[in-house]
Amino acid sequence: MSKRIFTIISLFLTFAILLGACGSSAEPAAPTGGEKPAEKVTLRVLVHQNPPMVAFMESFNKTFQEKYPNITVDMSVVNANDLSTVSQTRLSANDIDVLDIFGFANGAQPYMKMVEPPNWQQLIDAGLLLDLTGQDFLKNYDDNTINDAGSYNGKVYSINLGRVIYSGVYYNKQLLEQYKIVVPTTWTELVAACETLKTNGIPCMTAGGKDGWPIFVGAYGLLGAIYPDQAALVKGLWEGTIKWNDEKSLEMWTKMQVYARDMMEEGASGIAGDAAPGRFASGAVAMFPGGSWYAPAIEAAQPAFDWGYIPFPASDKADDNKYWFGKYDQGWAIAANTPNKDAALVYLKEFSDPANYQAFVDAVGFIPTQPSAKLNTKIGGEIAPFLANFRVGYEQYWIAPKGAGQFANPWASYFKPFGTDDDPKVLADKVQADLQAGLDAVK
Amino acid sequence: MSYHFGRKKSKWTPYLLLLPGLLFYFIIALGPSMATAVYSLTNATGIKGATVNWVGLDNYREFLFMGRASVDNLAALQRTLIFSITVTLVQFTLGLFVALLVNQKLKGTNLFRTIYFMPVILGVVIQGLMWSLFLYPLGGPAAKILSVFGLRSEFLGGQPTEAFAWVIFIQIWANMGTTMMIFIAGLQTIPSDMYEAARIDGANTWQLFRNVTWPLLTPSVNTNLLLNIIGSLQAWQLFLVLVGYRNGTQVLGYLIYATGFGQTSGSTSSSFRQGYAAAASIILFLLVLVIGMSVQYILQRRERRILG
Repeated sequence: MSKRIFTIISLFLTFAILLGACGSSAEPAAPTGGEKPAEKVTLRVLVHQNPPMVAFMESFNKTFQEKYPNITVDMSVVNANDLSTVSQTRLSANDIDVLDIFGFANGAQPYMKMVEPPNWQQLIDAGLLLDLTGQDFLKNYDDNTINDAGSYNGKVYSINLGRVIYSGVYYNKQLLEQYKIVVPTTWTELVAACETLKTNGIPCMTAGGKDGWPIFVGAYGLLGAIYPDQAALVKGLWEGTIKWNDEKSLEMWTKMQVYARDMMEEGASGIAGDAAPGRFASGAVAMFPGGSWYAPAIEAAQPAFDWGYIPFPASDKADDNKYWFGKYDQGWAIAANTPNKDAALVYLKEFSDPANYQAFVDAVGFIPTQPSAKLNTKIGGEIAPFLANFRVGYEQYWIAPKGAGQFANPWASYFKPFGTDDDPKVLADKVQADLQAGLDAVK
Repeated sequence: MSYHFGRKKSKWTPYLLLLPGLLFYFIIALGPSMATAVYSLTNATGIKGATVNWVGLDNYREFLFMGRASVDNLAALQRTLIFSITVTLVQFTLGLFVALLVNQKLKGTNLFRTIYFMPVILGVVIQGLMWSLFLYPLGGPAAKILSVFGLRSEFLGGQPTEAFAWVIFIQIWANMGTTMMIFIAGLQTIPSDMYEAARIDGANTWQLFRNVTWPLLTPSVNTNLLLNIIGSLQAWQLFLVLVGYRNGTQVLGYLIYATGFGQTSGSTSSSFRQGYAAAASIILFLLVLVIGMSVQYILQRRERRILG
C-alpha cells in the first residue's frame, strides 16, 4: 500500500515539476493604458550598440527616472547585426516596450516583383508596432522625416532620430600636412595621396572589416559618384536599363579594386567595427572611409586629434564629389502590445523634447530631424557645406529579387585581399549574372 | 534482476513513470520538428501575428531550383559535406591517437587529458574570441609567426577557402576533447589480461592495436563516428562567430539561421523567412538522416561481426 502511495505522490510531483517548467515565469503585466501615474512601471527599452549613443541613453535614462520616479528604465543593448532578430523575438514574446528600429526606409516598390517586404514592414503588418499618429511629440520632427522614415500606409509608427552619412572619408589633417598632401577632391588626387602615403610607410585607409559591411560601406561613396540618383539606379537595375557590367559600372568596379587592393590597409579585415575609429584616431593610418556616426568615437579616443571629413572623391570631376549619401538611422517605436503604453509614450515625449533631442544629436553626431536642432558638433561642421546635397543611399532602396545569386551587390569586398576576385571585368560579369538570374526567375 | 511493481493495475506503474519523460520529448523535441516540417510549406516569417499562407512546395523549389541562389544553396550543401567529412576524419583520428597517448600509465597524463579536453568546456563565443585574437591580421600571434617567413594573411577575413579551413581547424580543436574522452572510456573497459595474453603470443604494438584495441573499441568508434558526423553536419555557430555571413564560407546550418532571422544581406532590414529556412532545415534533416542511418547501419553490421 505504502509503495502505491509513494508511486502516486512521485507521479504527481513529477507532473507538477514538468508543468511548472513549461509555464511562463513572467507575471502578466497590468492592462494596456490603465496605469495611474504613481504606479510602479519597469519600461523595457532596446537599443543597438553604438558607444556614444549608449552613453547618452544611460545619462538620459537617469534624468528620466529622476523626473518620473515611478518608472524604472531597463535598457538592453545588442549588436547592430542582431537588432532585428532580438526585436522580432522580444516583440513576439511581449517582452519589450520601446525599441530602436533601423532601416525604416523605402519599402518594396511597385516594380519589384515577388520580393519579401523588409523587416520593419513585416512587423507593422503583423500589428506589432504601435500607431503613433496624432501624438504631440511628432510635431517636433520635420514632416519629411515623418513621411519618409516613420510612416507606412498613412500611419506613423516611428520617430526617426537623425540622418547619417556613410559616403564620407575621415582624414588625418596632421599626416596630410606632414606629407604635403592637399585634401583630395578628385579620384586622381585620392590615388596620388594614397601612393604618397604608402611610399612613406603610412597605410592610406582602414575600416572595421571584421564586421563585414564596414569594408564596403566607404565604397558606397564611390557608387554614389557614378550613380548620384540611387533610387533611379535601383529601378534601373530591376528594369534592366542599368547593368552591373555596363561601361559606367565597369568604371565603378575598376575603382573599387583600387580601393580594396591599394587603398585599404593590410589586415583591415581583422579590425572590429567599433575598434576602427580608435585605430584611425591613433594616427596609424591617414584616412578612414566610414559613417558620420563614427565621429564621437574618434573624438572620444583622441580628443586633441585633428581630423576632417570629406565626400568620397570617386569622380575626376570635383563637382560630382559634392554629394552625401546616407540614410535615416535609428528611430524609436513602441510595441503595440505593451502593457506600459503610457510610460512608453512619456519616454518618447521626453526624448523628443527639443533640449533633450539637441543633447542627443550633439552626443551621437546625427544630422538632426528636428528643424529646431542645430548642427553643433564637429562632424556637423564638416557635413554642413554639402548638406543640401544629401541623398538616401542605394542600400536603403535595394531589395534583391528572389533567386539572385550571392554576388548581386556592389561590394568592394569581393576583391582581393578580402575576396577572391582580381579582375573588374570578370567580377562585373559575375555580379550581373547573379542579379540577372534573380530577375529572370521572378519574371 | 527483476522489477516488482505488483499485479493488475500496478503493472502500469513503469509506463506511468515513463510518461513525463515521453511528454517532455514530444513537447520539446518531436513537436517542434513536426512544426518545422509544416512551416516549410508556408511563407511564415516567425513574427507573431503575421499572416501565414500555405505555399506548398514553393520553398523547396526556390531552395533547390530557383536562379543562381539555388546554385549557391547547393554549393553550401557541398561545403557542408566537405566540412563534415574533413572534421569527422581528422577529429576521429586525432581523438583516437591522443586517447591512446594519454591512456598510458605515465606521470602527467591527467594533466594532458585536462589540457586536451579544456576547449570543450569553453563556449563557442569564447572559442571564437580566442581564435579571432590569435588570428588578428594586424600583429596577432599568427601574423607574427607568418611575418618571420615574410608571409602575411587576412586569415578569417581574407580568402573564403582559407577562412573555411580555419573554421574546420577550430571546430576540430574545440571538439576533439569529447572524442578523446569517449575513446579513453572505451580503452579503460578493455581488460588488461587481453593485452597480456596477446603479448605472450608474441604480438607487437601494432598487432596489439590492430587485433585487441581496435576491435574492442567498436562501441566507442561507433559512438564517436555518429556524434562527429551529425555534429559537424549541423555546425553553424563557429561560422557565425568567426566569419559571419560571407560569400564562399556558408554551410547549410548557418544558411538556415541567416535566412530565418534576416541576416543574409548585411543590412539590418532584411526580411525574416522562417518558412523558407524551415524548408532548408528539412533538407538538412534529410541529409543528416540519410548519412546518419547509412553510417549506423554499416557500423552496426560491423559491430555484430566483431563482437557477435
